[in-house]
Amino acid sequence: MSVIDQLSTELARLPGIGPKTALRLVHHLLKGSREQPRRLARALEEVADRVRACRVCGNFTEHEECEVCVNPRRDASIVCVVEEAFEVGAIERTGQYRGLFHVLGGHLAPLDGVGPNELNVASLLGRIRDARGGVNEVILATNASVEGEATAVYLEEMIRPMGARVSRLARGIPVGSDLEYVDGTTIAEALAGRREM
Amino acid sequence: MHLQRLSLRRFRNLGVQDLEFPPEGVAIVGDNAQGKSNLLEAIYYLETLRSFRGAPDMQLVEFGSDVFRLVGHLGGTGVSVEVSAAFQKKGKRKKVTMGGVEPDRLSDALGSLSAVVFSPSDVELVSGGPGDRRRFLDILLSLNEHGYLLALQDYRKVVARRNALLKDDQAAELIAAFDHGLIRTGARIMLSRLRWIENRREAFCHYYSTVSGGSRASMSYRPSFALGPAGSLDDVADAFREAIASTRDRERRVGSTVVGPHRDDVRLRLGDEGEDLDLRDFGSGGQRRTAALALRMVEARTVRESRGEEPIVLLDDVFAELDEGRSERVLDLMEREETGQVVLTAPKDADVRVRSDSLPRWRIRDGMIAS
Repeated sequence: MSVIDQLSTELARLPGIGPKTALRLVHHLLKGSREQPRRLARALEEVADRVRACRVCGNFTEHEECEVCVNPRRDASIVCVVEEAFEVGAIERTGQYRGLFHVLGGHLAPLDGVGPNELNVASLLGRIRDARGGVNEVILATNASVEGEATAVYLEEMIRPMGARVSRLARGIPVGSDLEYVDGTTIAEALAGRREM
Repeated sequence: MHLQRLSLRRFRNLGVQDLEFPPEGVAIVGDNAQGKSNLLEAIYYLETLRSFRGAPDMQLVEFGSDVFRLVGHLGGTGVSVEVSAAFQKKGKRKKVTMGGVEPDRLSDALGSLSAVVFSPSDVELVSGGPGDRRRFLDILLSLNEHGYLLALQDYRKVVARRNALLKDDQAAELIAAFDHGLIRTGARIMLSRLRWIENRREAFCHYYSTVSGGSRASMSYRPSFALGPAGSLDDVADAFREAIASTRDRERRVGSTVVGPHRDDVRLRLGDEGEDLDLRDFGSGGQRRTAALALRMVEARTVRESRGEEPIVLLDDVFAELDEGRSERVLDLMEREETGQVVLTAPKDADVRVRSDSLPRWRIRDGMIAS
């Protein structure tokens, strides 16, 4: 196998990239100066070597603990639970959330053999227990899928007896959309989750 | 709304043909195994994006070809819409367009034809198992009620996951975590089915009585657990929750979820309400076929109500197994119900009597149609 084939095979393993796109990327990398592919290689290497899971919450970090966990200005009484580490970034970019995070590393998926033991559930419960009442609220920000819903219900049952408030992200009408174009299920969810003005 | 034009490209044995349909419809006459049902299958494919005969898409492609393609032009009051569906064996790719645009989801294109198909295999609705009747309701409600299909898909996902946990003998808390989704989606499905039956039981009775020449039959929903008069979604959800709680031991033993809409049935009975003669067990061949026909008539009425237009009626050799009296009364009924376009198939000219013989005749041989 030539080195070109090797690289395009590796690229084709990435999500959303088929064999043709992979080959196009390789050609592009070979076209200009050789500095670009070298920079890319170095960046990939550094990511592989330096990024790891935060000891406390499972978020991406280059240290023992992530930026959020070590920041003394974050509100340690609120923990937001997400399925994947990249979702931390999505919430951070809103600039609206001042609490801490916990990354599960997926959701309950019985058909794939993923149960609570395969997820970072024990560490979440340990965090809440060790805080001795220091965690007032847990926000469950799992996805709105069938598995995400079950994961949230499961966690709620586990957390509520420990005394913390448990909430879920609201489901409903996307911001900026016209009501007439929103599907019935979403409108029904939004109606059920309406709030007083 | 009626079908104006249909382009067939390598669908079954229908080859390459472009057909112009008269607004009142057409009678297709031909010997057995010439492709009459294939043509109705092609038309109805544009409604449900699958074969009404349950054939996988792979089998619908002409032998030796890779792709079939269907394009229908639908005309209504002053408008014309184009709907197309194609399937490629290689890669198993299905492509659908409406007005030249691919919808976000395949399910957005369901029901774009407004058609109902009557076929001899409909008798399975009455004599078959509960699964056949659930499938009837599920297809009907998916096509005619917003949000039903989505709830059904989610419900099936939850049941599959919950059953995997039960089979694996997993912790109770883990199984209970899926109860929430099970009840939310399951109650939604049950309420839609219950309401549909409730609102159409008189219509069913009326059609059965008309076609049979005065006999009576009734239909009712039979849930897999005790359910009082269901007023609201919350009532159904509460009853469902209770039923799950009381079957925890049994579902553990069996290794699957034992109550819920996936276990429900529709009861079709002979005689007046209160009499308990199940059509499935006690009905004669003719009575079962009449009941199946009545169910399809109710379906046509549902399409008319939910989409505000006359459905296209596809009759696949339905008179072959009915006695003369019943056939005539079905035809009378069809005329009185002001059905829209009628496309019917029959092996012999003598069987074609719809609309006082006014329907144009087409002949079909080896899949080729001659008008």
